[in-house]
Amino acid sequence: MNLNFKHKHNSLLITILLLLIATFVSIIYVQFVPNNTINSSLIYILALVLIAHYTDGYLYGILSSFFCVIGINYLFTYPYFKINFTLTGYPITFIGMLAIAIITSTTTSLMKKQAAIINEREKEIMEAEKEKMRATLLRAISHDLRTPLTSIIGTATSYIENKDSLSETEKLDLVNNINDDSHWLLNMVENLLMVTRIQNDGGKLTKSHEAAEEIIAESVLRLRKRLPDSQIHVTIPNDLVLIPMDALLIEQVIINLLENSIIHSNSKSATELFMEISDDMAYFHVKDYGIGIAPERLPYIFDGQSNSCSSDSHKGIGIGLSICKTIVMAHGGTITAKNHEHGAEFIFSLPLN
Amino acid sequence: MESKFTILLIEDEKHILEFVSKALINNNYRVITSSSGNTGLKLISSQCPDLILLDLGLPDIDGTTIIKEIRTWSSCPIIVVSARTSEHEKVLALDLGADDYITKPFGTNELLARIRTSLRHSNQINTDSDLFMHSYSCGGFKIDFLKRIITVNEQQIHLTPIEYKIVAYLAQNSGKVMTYSSILSNVWGPYTDDDNKILRVNMANIRRKIEVNPAEPKYIYTEVGVGYRMCEEDSYMQFS
Repeated sequence: MNLNFKHKHNSLLITILLLLIATFVSIIYVQFVPNNTINSSLIYILALVLIAHYTDGYLYGILSSFFCVIGINYLFTYPYFKINFTLTGYPITFIGMLAIAIITSTTTSLMKKQAAIINEREKEIMEAEKEKMRATLLRAISHDLRTPLTSIIGTATSYIENKDSLSETEKLDLVNNINDDSHWLLNMVENLLMVTRIQNDGGKLTKSHEAAEEIIAESVLRLRKRLPDSQIHVTIPNDLVLIPMDALLIEQVIINLLENSIIHSNSKSATELFMEISDDMAYFHVKDYGIGIAPERLPYIFDGQSNSCSSDSHKGIGIGLSICKTIVMAHGGTITAKNHEHGAEFIFSLPLN
Repeated sequence: MESKFTILLIEDEKHILEFVSKALINNNYRVITSSSGNTGLKLISSQCPDLILLDLGLPDIDGTTIIKEIRTWSSCPIIVVSARTSEHEKVLALDLGADDYITKPFGTNELLARIRTSLRHSNQINTDSDLFMHSYSCGGFKIDFLKRIITVNEQQIHLTPIEYKIVAYLAQNSGKVMTYSSILSNVWGPYTDDDNKILRVNMANIRRKIEVNPAEPKYIYTEVGVGYRMCEEDSYMQFS
């Protein structure tokens, strides 16, 4: 209601303003070039077109055309400052101005309506695309979550049913399996939580300046808690670097990349994690010395589905990488994957300002 | 029979309640449990536990309200249990007077270590026998508070006065997380502004002096978004 009122208010204001300007310009023009009514009519017609264009509906255009006709008659045609409707050609001027006002108003309203429709349609398409992405992600996740859950339930059941016949080591093995799968599940869930953390605030992040070395150190510590045997070689720059970021999200990126390298590189040599600064960007490198990435997978590696056809027991790492991309992009950075001579390297960047 | 420490566990999730109390009983603690904040508060005044383990997400009262309530009349140590993503909640709980926090999901070892640390600190204050510490040592890292000397693997380390103050404050509260604001007000005085950049810069310098690899610290850990934690003293790691 309020908005509508404001809108009407604006239209009225525009109309009055334009008419005043037109009158003013015409008066000044007449001072210099007397007896040239045609040009002042043109000025009014211009004002009419503008009014029809910038206001809503037909009302303002028609009212203004009445005003213009009377105004020209009164101010700029002989006898000056008198209204005289008996002038030759007067009905033509009147009809012409009215026609201009109505046609322009109609065209404008139509244009506005069409623009609104196009806008609406674009929004719908975007929404549908988002919905599709969400559905794909959900499907992939449900699939990925079911695998470890099946294993957990199966293992727990076999423990309960056979607890008398199992040896101590067998029991320990079973519980260890449950433990591993639960940790994997937990990591998956934390990844998903990170995504909701981005989407909750409408894509906006709550950034604060964090010391890069502290983020790196904590990520490595958290990963080591879960995968105690992982070989990671970490180096940090000599100077303290503060980077604006959502710390938990970036930690998740580092953890995902490290885990990806450790599990998929098929190599016992340590994964390197280091950081460098160039051109107002901080570049984080995760470099492993293993089998590298299959070249046909490289272009799609961050799309989240590249693993769905393989028989890999650690599914979901594809989702992990796509979440990395989402997080880094939300920070205004870039993420790339490439092969080097002896393995794979992931690089992501974050802007320093 | 030796007297046991009593721990009050306030947690609404049945399975967590079960596994934590089992672990605590196995480690020679007496455990009382409550699945709601209101009964928890009643139990605190009637049973006077030695330590409270409090889940922040309770169905009836907000966890922070419980901390405020307890702190009006008791200095009993409180360890808060919270989810990883809620840093603000943790900081708020610590600033309100909680002693420490533990992030869900946690292992029993981690939990027991936190409990030992908190009990030790509350014990120091209660008996004030150990209140004045003469030295701190953890791995190769040693502080002599009387001589103000810090050594790492027998090598003396030179810290600036501010750096020494930070390290000493963390060491006196070793094993516990200290929030940025508590370190700032303790080292620079109560009127410092909230910008903790100066603290980060000092911490970066300290790490480069005391840690073998500052990227993988062994003595001072970062709790991102919350504060810093110095590793627990050796003697308490072994004998408790």
